[in-house]
Amino acid sequence: MRLALRELHRRPGRFVLATAILALLALLLMVLGGLLDGLTAGSTGALRAQRAALIVYSGDAKESLARSRVTPSVRSKVQAVAGAGNAAGLGSVQLGARVPGRGPRELVPTVLFGYELAPKGLTGAPPGQGRVYADSSLRADGVREGQTILLGPARSPVKIIGFLDGSRFEGQGTLWGSLETWRAVQAANRPNERAGPGVDQALLVRVASGGSATSVAAAIDRATSGETKTLTLEEAIQALPGVSAQQTTFNQIIGITAAVAVLVVALFFALITVERIGLYGVLKALGAGSVTLFAGVLAQALAVALAAATIGAAASLALAAALPPDSIPFVASAGRLLSSAAYLVIAALIGCAFSLRRVLRVDPAAAIGSGI
Amino acid sequence: MFLALREIRRAKLRFGLLVAAIALLVFLILAQQALQNGLITSFIGAIERQSAPVLVYSVDGQRTLQGSLITPALQNTIEHVAGIAEAGRIGQGTFTVSVDGAPQSDAALIGYERAGVGAPDRLSAGRMPDGPGEAVGSAGEFSLGETVRLAAGGGPRLRVVGLSPDAQIQVTPTLFLSWPDYVAASRAANPDAKTVLPSAIGVRPAEGTSAQTLVRRIDAASPEADALTRDQAAQKSPGVNAVRSSFGLIFLLFALVAPLVTGLFFLIITLQKSRALTLLRAIGAPAGALVRALLAQVAMLTGAGVAIGTLMFLPLSQAEVGTLQLSFDGRAVLFWAVLLMALALASASVAARRVLAIDPLEVTTGGGAR
Repeated sequence: MRLALRELHRRPGRFVLATAILALLALLLMVLGGLLDGLTAGSTGALRAQRAALIVYSGDAKESLARSRVTPSVRSKVQAVAGAGNAAGLGSVQLGARVPGRGPRELVPTVLFGYELAPKGLTGAPPGQGRVYADSSLRADGVREGQTILLGPARSPVKIIGFLDGSRFEGQGTLWGSLETWRAVQAANRPNERAGPGVDQALLVRVASGGSATSVAAAIDRATSGETKTLTLEEAIQALPGVSAQQTTFNQIIGITAAVAVLVVALFFALITVERIGLYGVLKALGAGSVTLFAGVLAQALAVALAAATIGAAASLALAAALPPDSIPFVASAGRLLSSAAYLVIAALIGCAFSLRRVLRVDPAAAIGSGI
Repeated sequence: MFLALREIRRAKLRFGLLVAAIALLVFLILAQQALQNGLITSFIGAIERQSAPVLVYSVDGQRTLQGSLITPALQNTIEHVAGIAEAGRIGQGTFTVSVDGAPQSDAALIGYERAGVGAPDRLSAGRMPDGPGEAVGSAGEFSLGETVRLAAGGGPRLRVVGLSPDAQIQVTPTLFLSWPDYVAASRAANPDAKTVLPSAIGVRPAEGTSAQTLVRRIDAASPEADALTRDQAAQKSPGVNAVRSSFGLIFLLFALVAPLVTGLFFLIITLQKSRALTLLRAIGAPAGALVRALLAQVAMLTGAGVAIGTLMFLPLSQAEVGTLQLSFDGRAVLFWAVLLMALALASASVAARRVLAIDPLEVTTGGGAR
C-alpha cells in the first residue's frame, strides 16, 4: 500500500492521463445528472412547492392541469370527504409577460397560478386582485418587486409584490396570485380555456396527520363517481408530461457512462499491472502477499478516482456558474456531485478488480526469470 | 502489419477491453443522437409537416402553437398584407381521447381551415380528409380506420383516413382535422369557452413574393404579429434550442473521452513495448513501418468498436421511448464513425512520436527499456 502511494507521489505523470479521462467521465456523469435535476426542478417545482398531500383533477383530464376542470358541484363532493377547510382550488395559465425595460417582442414566458392554499415560501391568504408573487428565477429576466408587468395579448396588469423560490413549472417562471386574479387573466387572454364562475382546474387536499392519503384519494374518487382522478403529489409530479420518461432515460445513460468508467479503469490498471508483473514477482519473492499487492492497486485506483471526481466537481461548479440563466437547465447540487463521485469511485474499484486475477497469478520464480 | 495483428490476437483481454470501451461510447453517442433527433422531431414535426410556407403567431404566443392566439383584428390585418395568395386559420390543442375504445390517452388536434395552408404536406398511407369527421394521424401512433373520440363526451367522432410521417407536436400523438371539427372539439372539452380563436394563421405567398419578404411585411403590418417561415417556425420553437444545447454539451464531452481513452491505451502499450520496438529498429525495421503498424492497430480497434457499438444501437433504434420514436440515422452513424476514427488516429500521434524517437543504438545500452 505504502509503495503504491509512494509511486503516485513520485511518478504522478504516469497517472495524469488516466486521471484526465476519469475527470472527463466524472464531468459527464455530473453534467448528465445536473441536467436531469435541472429539467426536473424546472418542470415540477410548482407541484413540489404545494403543502397538500393530494391533488384532484377532473376524471377526463388525463392528469393534466391545463385540461382539468373542477366544477363547484364536484368541489362540494370533495369537501364532503376531505373537510371544507382541507380542499383548496388551484388554476394555471401560461402567458407571455411584458416586463418594463424589455423590447416589445421580448416577452418572458410565465405561468400564472391562482391559489387558495399558500405554497411553500408564501404564507397567509392569497394577495388581492392583480397582485402576485413571482418565482425568483424570473429575476434573471428583469422582473423586480414593485414592478407592474403585463400578461398575455390582453396586457392584463399584475403587480409583483414579492418572490418565492423553487416553483418553476414546465420550464417556465411562475407567478402566484388569487384564484380571482387567475380567472380574470385567463378569461381576458385565453377565451378558449376560460373557466366559469367557481370552476378551478384542480383541488389541493390536505390530509390530517396520521391519515392515509391513498385512502382519502380513493374515497374522493368514489364520492364523485369517477368525475375526479385524485393523485398523491408525487404521483402527480411523475404524471407530468415527460418527467418519468426523462428520469428513466437519463438514469440509463448515467448507468452506461458509469460502465464506460469501469472499462476505462479496468483498461488502465490492466496495462499498469502487465507492466509491473516482474516487479510484483520480486515483491512476492521478498514475501509480499497478493492481498498486499492488490490493496496497493486498489489504493491507486481510489486515489485516481477521487482526484478525478474532485476535478469533475470543480468543473461542474464552474460550468454552472458560467452558464447564462435560461440557457441550459443545469443544476450542480451537492447531492448530485457527491453521488456522481461515489459512482465513479465504485466504478474505479470494480474496474481495477479486473487486475486481481493477474496479481494473484504472478509466479515469483517465473517473473524474476523474465528479465527484471 | 503482420505483427500488429499478431499482437492483438495474443493480448485479447487488453485489446478487448479497449474495443468494449469504444463500443460502449459509440453506443451511448448514437443512442443520444437518436434521442435528440426523436425529441426534436416529436416537438416540431407537425410544424415542418404542415403545408403553409409562412406561419403567423401572435407575439404573445412565443412561437408556439399552444401559446399563440390570433384575435379577429390581428387576423384581419394579416389577411390584408400585400403578396398573400392564400391564408387560413390553424388551431392547436391537446385533448384527452379514446382511440377505438382503448383507455384514455393524449392527442394533439391541429385544425386547419384550408388544406393548402395547414394540412399535412405528405402522407405515408391513406388519403387526405374530404369531409367532416375525418382526420390524418401521425404515423406510428395511429392506424388507418381507427376511430377517435373525445373523453369529455360530445365533439366530433374522428376516423383516421390518412397517416403522415414525423408529424407529432409537443411529443404527443397528433391528428390533423378540419377547422369546424377542431372548434367542435374545443367546445366539447371546455363548454365555458365562448369563442374558439385560431392559434396561428397559415399563409402562402403569391407568385413573385418570397416567404421571407412576406414575413417582413406581416411583421411590419402589426406589432402583435410574429411571422416565421416554416423552417424558422420549426427551428425557433422554444424547446428546440434547449434540447440542442443540452445534447451538444454531452456530445462534446463524449467526443473528448473516446480519443483520450484510445490515446492513453496506445501510449501505455507503446511504452511497454519500447524494448521490443528498439530491437526491431536495430535489426532494420524502418520507423515508418512501425508507425504504420501502430496506426493500423488504432484503425482496426476503433473500427471494431464503432461496428460493435453500431450493432448494439441497431435494435434500440427501432424502439420507442414513451411516445418518442427513435430511428437509425445512417448519416449520424457515418459522421460519428469518421469523427471518432480521425480523433483516435490523431490521439495516437503521441505514441507514434515515441516510436519515431526510438534510437536503434539504445539496444546496445538497454535504453529502450525505459
